[in-house]
Amino acid sequence: MEFLWEVLVEAFRTLTAPGPRLGLVVALTLMVSALSTLIGTVLGIPVGVALALGRFRGRRALGLVVSVGMGFPPVLAGLLLLLVFWRSGPLGGLGLIFTPTAMVIAQVALAAPIAAGVTAGAVRGLGAACREQLAALGLGRIGRGVVAIREARAGVAAAVAACFGRVVAEVGAVLVVGGNIVGETRVLTTLIVEESRQARFGAAVAAGVVLLVISLVVNVAVDRLGRERT
Amino acid sequence: MRVSLRYPHRDPVLRLEGLELVEGRRTVVFGPNGAGKTTLLRLLAGTLPGGPGWDAAYLPQTTHLFRGTIGWNLGLGLDTERAVLAARLAARLGMGERMSEPVSRLSGGERQRVALARTLADPRPWVLLDEPLTHIDAEDRSEVAGVIAAGVGDRGAVIVTHDLETAAASGSHMAVLLEGRLRQQGALGKVVSAPDDPQVASVVGVSNLWEGVGLFRSGAFACLEVGGLRVWGVGAIGKGVAGRALFRGEAVAVLRTDGSAGSVRNRWAGTIAEIRRGGRWVELRVDVGAAVVTAVITPGAMDEMGLSVGARVMAAVKASSVRLLAAG
Repeated sequence: MEFLWEVLVEAFRTLTAPGPRLGLVVALTLMVSALSTLIGTVLGIPVGVALALGRFRGRRALGLVVSVGMGFPPVLAGLLLLLVFWRSGPLGGLGLIFTPTAMVIAQVALAAPIAAGVTAGAVRGLGAACREQLAALGLGRIGRGVVAIREARAGVAAAVAACFGRVVAEVGAVLVVGGNIVGETRVLTTLIVEESRQARFGAAVAAGVVLLVISLVVNVAVDRLGRERT
Repeated sequence: MRVSLRYPHRDPVLRLEGLELVEGRRTVVFGPNGAGKTTLLRLLAGTLPGGPGWDAAYLPQTTHLFRGTIGWNLGLGLDTERAVLAARLAARLGMGERMSEPVSRLSGGERQRVALARTLADPRPWVLLDEPLTHIDAEDRSEVAGVIAAGVGDRGAVIVTHDLETAAASGSHMAVLLEGRLRQQGALGKVVSAPDDPQVASVVGVSNLWEGVGLFRSGAFACLEVGGLRVWGVGAIGKGVAGRALFRGEAVAVLRTDGSAGSVRNRWAGTIAEIRRGGRWVELRVDVGAAVVTAVITPGAMDEMGLSVGARVMAAVKASSVRLLAAG
């Protein structure tokens, strides 16, 4: 018991007097997560709407890609991107290895299928009458998609929240492609990994608390956005 | 144009040959539940793949409005000019001055009015309406049917219904569907008064549908003039307004003499022009001068009275059995 108590006291001390290093880690975490959520949802939501409403060749195949992508092991995604961005790899010349950009790319690859899958589920759940009326309106594809997203607002908001939840909590991919370099590519999750390994449990718990608070704030905000206004 | 289609292609549930849908004409597709009416309309509208998929304004059977205000829903997918028309039609349907209300608070009938107004304002060359009057109160149907006629204008329309009064108020022609097959089609008055066979008759009934002009109104009743004959019935048809009188053949009493018919307001003298014996009933057509009354009586009554073609009779029907509808 004494051990746990000491860990908590240490965590509390870190949180009340955070050093500049923790601030940097939080800033990078927020930036990488926000950017990858933004790009991931911008790519994924239209795909989800198309999966739910469209009739096109390759729809099943695309659905399968999305399903697999939703459960893709992050560390494997990280490894694949590491091979691509490795100095002597196919895109090694871009010099992206161990940079925040590579982390964002990895996170987008993990987040976009989730945005697509959750959106597709939400739009499919709109009901037959709604989809029949949507088809009857005579709008173009984009117009139909916009009305569908608007109608399935709560579900689409859940897709955004799910994306952010995945990327902010993700360790494997960012660790592999980012390299967990202090001051450059270290985020809250990889900080927890590092501090745990060094047996600095107080600092690790402090980072965990910050992570939970971020998650909570973002979820509440997104839920508000998706709430019915009329 | 003549529409022929089968759906699904293999082992079709719906198989229509030569359904006549003419531009500029409002055709009612009539039939009981499960006859294939909605499937036909969805194939025509293209929301069900495998049909012609016309360029058509289409009101689905189940009304759905999108989250937002009435005004927003009315303008959905329409340009400004058409959105204004939709608002005007909605106002005629009693939804004026409510444009900024959210649709979540509307009743079923109000939702149907909003969806109907939007569909009618949609400029596409065909108008397809699936049960447009189901949630509209009976006393408002004639008026709403008038708005439908005005909104459709000179375009072609297909109106699906299983209600004879809606059919009589909405269209000029009728096609009867039974179990996915086209059983009869033609002018509305002709189809309702002379069904081709007992099966069609059992679904459509045997009715009289006369076209005329309003003479005067008195409370809930009005009087329609049909080529010199007067028809009293229930409905609000003003003086000089074109209207239709709808009454069932079963509601017509055939009397032997010119004697008193008690409280019956509509009495017309004529001669029997035709006798058709069905299984359980007899259809009589009585020529009353400007029109022909179709009466459905029992074979027993027929034999008792000893009626034959050419016999002088009196056809009588209570005003409360006659529905007067504004003809669009």
